[in-house]
Amino acid sequence: MTMGFPVIFFLSCSKNSLNGRIVFTLVPGKLQDLNFVTGDFWRFIPRAQILYIDPDNPDQSAEVLTKEFFSACSPEISYDGRFMLFSAQKKQNDSWQIWEMNLKNLKTRQIITSGENSVDPVYLPDNRLLFSKLVLNDSLKAGYSLYTCNLDGSDEKRITFNPNTYFASTILNDGRILSISRQIYPEQEKEIYMVLRPDGTKAELFYKSAEGKILISRPRETNDGKMVFIESGNANNEADNLVSVSYNRPLHSMTNLSSEIKGYFCSAFPMHSGRLLITWRKSDADRYALYEFDPESILPGKVVYSNPDYNLIDAVIVEKRNRPRKLPSEVDTGVKTGLLLCLNINFSGLQSSGNTFLLPVAARIEVLGIDSTLGVVKVEDDGSFYLKLMADEPFRIQTIDNNGHVLKGPCDWIWLRPNERRGCTGCHEDPECVPDNRVPLSVKKPPVSMPVHVTKVREKGVDLE
Amino acid sequence: MKITRPFKILLLSGFLIVLGLIIIIPGGKWARKHVDYITAVTDHPLGCASCHLYIQKNNFVSKLINADYLSPFKMVVSKDGDRLYVVAQERNEMLIVDPVNNKVLNHVRTGVHPHSIALDESGQKCYVSNQWSDNVFVTDLTIMKVTDTLKTGNGPAGLALSTDSRYLYVVNSFSNDISILDLQSKSEIKRLAAGNNPSGIQFSPDGKTICVTSRRGLIAPYGTPLLTELTVVNSVTQRISEHKNIESAHMMENIAFTPSGDLALVTLIRPKNLVPAIQVERGWMMTNGIGIIELKPDGRIIQLLLDEPNAYYADPFDIVITPDGKKAFVSSSGVDYISVINIDSVRAIISESSPDLLRAFSNHLGISSRIVMKRIPTGSNPKGLALSPDGKKLYVAEQLEDRISVIGTENLEVMKAIDLGGPRRITVARHGRRLLNNAGHTFQNQYSCYTCHPDVHEDGLVYNMASIDMGRNLTNTQSLRNISDTPPFKWNGKNQTVYKQDGMRFSTVLTRTEAFSYNELDAISAYIMAGIPNPPNLQYNPRGKLTPAQLRGQVLFERTHDNLGNEIPIFNRCVTCHPAPYYTNKKMANVGTLAASDDSILFDTPHLNNIFASPPYLHDGRAATLEEIWTLYGKTEQHGSVNDLTKMQLNDLIEYLKSLGDPAYEPKKTDIYKASFMHN
Repeated sequence: MTMGFPVIFFLSCSKNSLNGRIVFTLVPGKLQDLNFVTGDFWRFIPRAQILYIDPDNPDQSAEVLTKEFFSACSPEISYDGRFMLFSAQKKQNDSWQIWEMNLKNLKTRQIITSGENSVDPVYLPDNRLLFSKLVLNDSLKAGYSLYTCNLDGSDEKRITFNPNTYFASTILNDGRILSISRQIYPEQEKEIYMVLRPDGTKAELFYKSAEGKILISRPRETNDGKMVFIESGNANNEADNLVSVSYNRPLHSMTNLSSEIKGYFCSAFPMHSGRLLITWRKSDADRYALYEFDPESILPGKVVYSNPDYNLIDAVIVEKRNRPRKLPSEVDTGVKTGLLLCLNINFSGLQSSGNTFLLPVAARIEVLGIDSTLGVVKVEDDGSFYLKLMADEPFRIQTIDNNGHVLKGPCDWIWLRPNERRGCTGCHEDPECVPDNRVPLSVKKPPVSMPVHVTKVREKGVDLE
Repeated sequence: MKITRPFKILLLSGFLIVLGLIIIIPGGKWARKHVDYITAVTDHPLGCASCHLYIQKNNFVSKLINADYLSPFKMVVSKDGDRLYVVAQERNEMLIVDPVNNKVLNHVRTGVHPHSIALDESGQKCYVSNQWSDNVFVTDLTIMKVTDTLKTGNGPAGLALSTDSRYLYVVNSFSNDISILDLQSKSEIKRLAAGNNPSGIQFSPDGKTICVTSRRGLIAPYGTPLLTELTVVNSVTQRISEHKNIESAHMMENIAFTPSGDLALVTLIRPKNLVPAIQVERGWMMTNGIGIIELKPDGRIIQLLLDEPNAYYADPFDIVITPDGKKAFVSSSGVDYISVINIDSVRAIISESSPDLLRAFSNHLGISSRIVMKRIPTGSNPKGLALSPDGKKLYVAEQLEDRISVIGTENLEVMKAIDLGGPRRITVARHGRRLLNNAGHTFQNQYSCYTCHPDVHEDGLVYNMASIDMGRNLTNTQSLRNISDTPPFKWNGKNQTVYKQDGMRFSTVLTRTEAFSYNELDAISAYIMAGIPNPPNLQYNPRGKLTPAQLRGQVLFERTHDNLGNEIPIFNRCVTCHPAPYYTNKKMANVGTLAASDDSILFDTPHLNNIFASPPYLHDGRAATLEEIWTLYGKTEQHGSVNDLTKMQLNDLIEYLKSLGDPAYEPKKTDIYKASFMHN
């Protein structure tokens, strides 16, 4: 018996230690009818389960982690490799909620209890988590906004306020959130990777795919400064692309890693070796399986695990990772407004350089809310304007000439968090342009308060540097 | 009752425990309160060493805990490539290095704070500029001895030797001029005016033109576009042929010519000090790049960024160009990288682009993808660069690594590193210096502390720090030299310690990324608080003896009665607020300079050591000169009683102020003033 105890002890340890294991979502039957707008059958799939395998012995080691759930999806591993977040339905017809599993003892606890679906959780670096939650709206189409909360579910805060829907978020090494964002009002078919700080400030475009391509996976950051993700060609009945872009210059560094590979990708996860753990299938008739893909190769790589009856998607590896930066926050919920500065409404980037005499000049801007105008404001002679707007309310801007004609816009939805100060170089400007070093005329006066009919907003003063 | 021994021991132990608790519990509470106040947080570990050991200025303790680093800076390569001559700036030495066998062969003493080296044509003699000694040492390399000392202007930095080795051109970085030394007569024959804080110098390949770069912009009212001078000298006539103004850029540290001589490339920073500092994303604080100067009549000046949309390459320092003219190497000292530039691509861009497009490129983060071939990682703080004579090897002085790395210029890979033999251990203060010089603690590495505080001083710029509203609180950058004994910090005096200054709020409003860890804060504080000396004030007070005008000025500075015999109120006497040795009483004051765009606050009284080297003046930099503090902005008599002074008296007062130097060089003063953090 004393001889047997150590053996039992080690077996028990090895059974409970999931370090190095591959965790993925297993979907029974055909994977179809993916809805990239509502997330149905894409971000949350009924009857899906989360499994793990030992990559050294995959066929013998497959174990279901989420037996107690009717459905479970979207596993994400903590930075210390000890916990896993996932979204799940306890019972059929339940709404999807966020859970966490201790990967040592495999015990789970519910983090989010909400009336609406909460999906796509991911760890933030400051002991909080980020997730997408369905927000119902009387006047607008329902969509998923981004929320953060503590790891015990407390202090839940909404951080996105535009009429867009957000899915498949990841956290960059620089501490910002990267999320698939699609405008739902007015409805647009295009989605982008939006990047923003964890307090919801400084939201901007990170990447947008080519015409006809749809972003369908969580973007993952590799050790060599690249982002890898999947662009689906379904809209054009084309093959999917496994894409990498450089973090340093995402808008102009797209490389198609799978140009020689036909078929469909679902997810990609970087491995320490430099290879990618991908889920891929050759055709509609096949099932997604796990492959180890070498970006230098033209083939999907060796099969890690497959199952003829199930699709394997959203694979991640249980391991320690570098914690992203913890970004400070300028948000102060005691303040009701934010400030927006545009340096030159008539500047749009390289294309407007040298053409200043040919392009019409904007004399005013109109700020548009969801269902009303917030006011028209004259811009300064240098094209700058400086506004104070209600925080957490989406708005758009269009430019107007001296005759009242709309020149450009409206732009994409913007929102400001309480106490946020935000700057733009121009209008629909090239995001790679930096400001000219000059004093904008508009900041020599107080900001124009919007909406113009609101004369006073009570808020506490903020003392910053 | 007989008290047994065990009972005695028990009694004694109990007494000691009770005594300990009496001391420890309130002591611990006091320590917690004390540390909370110093660090401005409530959970800093209660370690005493951070403040009471690492910042010690006591020579004995300081020698124990600190180390004597080399800090290689600039260097030159011998004609045969067999020797490197390296300035070891912190050690006040020149190292002679065998780059083939990776050995340091000799250490030759230099003056104080050496800067650059020039090698004569024969290779048997070299010249070392001693920036804090105001001279150049001539070293005979055959005997490894200093054989001569040549007097220069103030703060000699860059050196350039004429092709016939007859003349040595010395850039005087503190007196803003260029000394031309005749090496036969060993004397200065001419002095030419240069830009503000000039530094780098280079002869054109044909030897007829010399270009001198400047680090600081021309002093101008806030809001005026930034202009920094590139001085062009005709080496034949030894006269200035042109003062070129480089727009919206400064910190042009060094320059290199293409072998064909048609272009000169300079390193530069494009600050955004006129734009409200509301975000770092999208290059809203700083961008870094190169300037390309076309050396022909009506030649253009083009600027291209080395930065990328999500990655910045802070503090470009040195630049060299391969003998074939194909590649340029730039040391990005704030991010520990060498950027390799394809010069043919640069030529293509400037030939095919209209002036408006070129101007737009100077603000475009995508342009670097067209000109940068590769980024090569280095050790800490790469500064001086030198190429082997065949152009196949690039030597990089890693200043805070005490090392020279060697990079192959064809495969663009690091071949090896030459250890210069500096101390192995990295002290807390050294770690702090590395942090101060590295942009890794700013969002996307956009800038480092050094960027606004070059040489731990200040960059001469006024920034729109954008507090409550975006147009408010213009802030004149302050020097970090020798500030340890002059709290509070910041113009509004709200930070009682360096810890607080560089803590959480610093990351929230300035660096916009994760705050320094406590260990890192300890290190930065140790570096700053241990005392970073000012250069000696050789320009205005070389021997510690005041001139007659300065003495008259001192009388005025310390006067108690005005010219009419009226007593000057104590609070309005210069010496009240500005007593030696730091010339600050560390209290807040209203000197009548509150602007409409300022919040209603008093200002911390700044220290005046080496004040001559810190224009512009006042909290928002409105005074371009010391004189303007009173001639334009002192009319209310709140900033000292001066309106009765004659112009000559004001001149004397200014001369005295200019003579104020670092306490280390002045007669000992014993008054110690307690800082005040009262704001009303």
